[in-house]
Amino acid sequence: MNYQNAQGDRRPVDPRTGKPIGPMAQPGYYPGFSTLSQQKFWDAKTRDVVLDRVNNVPPIRFFSPEEAKLLEAICDRVLPQDDRDQAHKIPIVPQIDKRLYENSHDGYRYVDMPPDRDAFRLGLRGIQEIAQQQYGSGFLDLGPREQDEILQSLHDGKPSAGHEIWKKMAVHHFWLMLVSDCAEAYYSHPWAWDEIGFGGPAYPRAYMRLERGEAEPWESEEERYEWEPPANSLSGKYELVAGRVEHFGSPAQGGTH
Amino acid sequence: MKAPLWGEFRSQKRKSHMLGPIQRIETPMHRFPEGEEVDYVIVGVGAGGGVVLQRLARAGFRVIGFDAGPFWDTERDWVSDEKGAHNLYWNDLRITAGQHPLAFGANNSGKGVGGGTVHWASFAPRLHPSDFRIRSEDGVGFDWPITYSDLKPYYELLELELPVSGPSYFPWGDPHGYPYAPHPMGGVGDVLIQGCTKLGIRVSAGGPVAILEGSRADRPHCIYRGFCIQGCKVGAKASTLITHVPDAIGNGAEIRANCMVSRIHLGENRRVTGVSYFDPEGREHFQKAKAVIVAGYSIETPRLLLNSACPGFENGLANSSDCVGRYLMAQAGNVVLGRFEELVRMYKAPPAHALTEEFYETDPKRGFARGFAIQTVGPLPIAFSKQMMTAKGAWGWGLRSVMMDYNHWAAFGFLGEILPNAENRVQLAEEKDQFGIPIAKVTFNLYDNDKKLIEYGKNKTMEVMWAAGAQEVVQEARYAHLVGAARMGDDPATSVVDQFGRTHDITNLFICDGSIMPTQGSANPGLTIMALAARVADCLISQGEKIFNSNERDMQRPPMRRDLSPPDTWGHGMPTFSS
Repeated sequence: MNYQNAQGDRRPVDPRTGKPIGPMAQPGYYPGFSTLSQQKFWDAKTRDVVLDRVNNVPPIRFFSPEEAKLLEAICDRVLPQDDRDQAHKIPIVPQIDKRLYENSHDGYRYVDMPPDRDAFRLGLRGIQEIAQQQYGSGFLDLGPREQDEILQSLHDGKPSAGHEIWKKMAVHHFWLMLVSDCAEAYYSHPWAWDEIGFGGPAYPRAYMRLERGEAEPWESEEERYEWEPPANSLSGKYELVAGRVEHFGSPAQGGTH
Repeated sequence: MKAPLWGEFRSQKRKSHMLGPIQRIETPMHRFPEGEEVDYVIVGVGAGGGVVLQRLARAGFRVIGFDAGPFWDTERDWVSDEKGAHNLYWNDLRITAGQHPLAFGANNSGKGVGGGTVHWASFAPRLHPSDFRIRSEDGVGFDWPITYSDLKPYYELLELELPVSGPSYFPWGDPHGYPYAPHPMGGVGDVLIQGCTKLGIRVSAGGPVAILEGSRADRPHCIYRGFCIQGCKVGAKASTLITHVPDAIGNGAEIRANCMVSRIHLGENRRVTGVSYFDPEGREHFQKAKAVIVAGYSIETPRLLLNSACPGFENGLANSSDCVGRYLMAQAGNVVLGRFEELVRMYKAPPAHALTEEFYETDPKRGFARGFAIQTVGPLPIAFSKQMMTAKGAWGWGLRSVMMDYNHWAAFGFLGEILPNAENRVQLAEEKDQFGIPIAKVTFNLYDNDKKLIEYGKNKTMEVMWAAGAQEVVQEARYAHLVGAARMGDDPATSVVDQFGRTHDITNLFICDGSIMPTQGSANPGLTIMALAARVADCLISQGEKIFNSNERDMQRPPMRRDLSPPDTWGHGMPTFSS
């Protein structure tokens, strides 16, 4: 895919040396930690569900090949994995495609939003429209900086073009749904659990070291390293999503207390 | 790669239905013959429906509990996995509208036997005495038709039936102790206690939560795996699925799972005759009953009543007051997140294990009525990533970066009282569901007192997080729980049901779930819903056949039937404090 080579290295960098980090099998501060290595100690149903997620990546059935390719490029910026080697990238688009193919949703829809299927198709068209109007080429052919500028404009609720399309849905609701879907696909994968040091399934074995952040005997201690997003990326800083104040919580939010 | 310590439970050769790893129900279960009239049909087997079903069955009534979702086999159906828990929630479409729209699904709506108690975090505090009379005391909201003292014995009873673990002295509201010991602390609880102690705020450690800290009968104790709101496979966290439904079945009740009730039928003499429902294959049936109890919670209960409109009740069944669907409430549930230099690992231990109600009551100095609680929560990675998306605006590398610090974060849930308002309501949308039934459209707005309370409470919660030593504190606005939309009261012009859950309009139609609560306090509603259900059941049982063949409305307080509790309830407990 040519967009991956466009305009510069997409990998994060080591701030001390300025050199790119990765690609590697397991980014994060828990080297060698493997939740999957504990699968013998999970209950059978949980093991089936998690292994199915890892081993059976669903085929693309909802999106057209062109749409899937475009969404792939978008998800590579919304949830970049350039520090992961090819064999250890976590599939995002197949999970989104599966959800939309099955028309699965979270039990509610904002009154200012079309159904999720339509919202995704509109969003893809809207993003292409911005790319064409602002940069004179398709999203796929843009460099990381330009791609991030487009996505940042959705984050800020101010898309620069495609107003006919964005009129049909609340931009911030679309943006939050897109980021949520990417996050859900990524952080439901055991490789992501290894990356962040989450212990994963724990039935029937249980946890016994509950306090002071102590690791179970089969968990790993934290070993931090310094890294920074590449200079050509805009997503390393934190700014609140525009429109957030008027809308409570995130899409598909779980219960809390 | 480190060697595991120990392994899976010995696999059980079983044909029976498992409710936790030990408790089982023999299958096939009893089923009433097609076409036979039963005494009671209960629509929805959740917190309220589960308790009233158990009481009626034990008292000898012929009763069917309908649920739109499955009758879970917890060993076969549930997982220790965040994404894999998606099917526990009411995922059928609802439209959400208003300036401050509510979320549904995983946030507050269960589908399947046990209802929301399957995925509640299981904080089980009582309401305070003041909650029952906020119109009289604070000039806001609505007074309940009962007082705290009417409900207190039922709180005590349900705290034994679930049971609830917590401190032996809980200082707020009506001070009381809990029958099971408090749980050990997890990382987030330690942070809450540290922050509160720094600021001189009293805090309750290790409860009150409806989670076993010691095993009891056929339920094992908690194993601190942290997947409470994904469904407790352990069987330590109480849900009516494992606490009340087995006893109901043992006493002849039928559970009709995966059956969606679509309409309540009105017959002659302003009495209901039964319900229409869709079976798992999508065929429509009629089930005849001498009385109907609706227990579908704050969205589905009003939706069913509105969809049951008929001549004489053009605006919805039992809706002569125009209050069906109105005065819907959610609690403000902002999540406050703090990053710490040291590791927390908040995925361990139940998310619910410590709280403070120090700010629960009205304080005129704060400039708004009513108050809030601060509680521990423990978001797992997916939930936490979404909180970072909204609380920090994280995406891309920023999201990856903050997620790598997941183990350094702790989270508190602010739980604030939002006042009832007639315009916060459930109506019918034009869209229809898979059965052709109009879906719910919910409109929700915050008003002046709500906004002031949220602003103050959010800041106070953040202050506690800072005091605990956080280096960074952020927050996400959101809601928790639902109640209201078919409130109880003495006046038929301003309420839907009387204090026993009986609709003012129809003497053999009852509502028994969170929708009858006129106000909500800052307590998680589960325990109150169950206590109200036990009280409704006592009324039904004491009146016996009269409910089936008379339109007379007996408002005498029924005797309390402690003998109808599930077995093993008594012989545990705490002395009560003199007040």
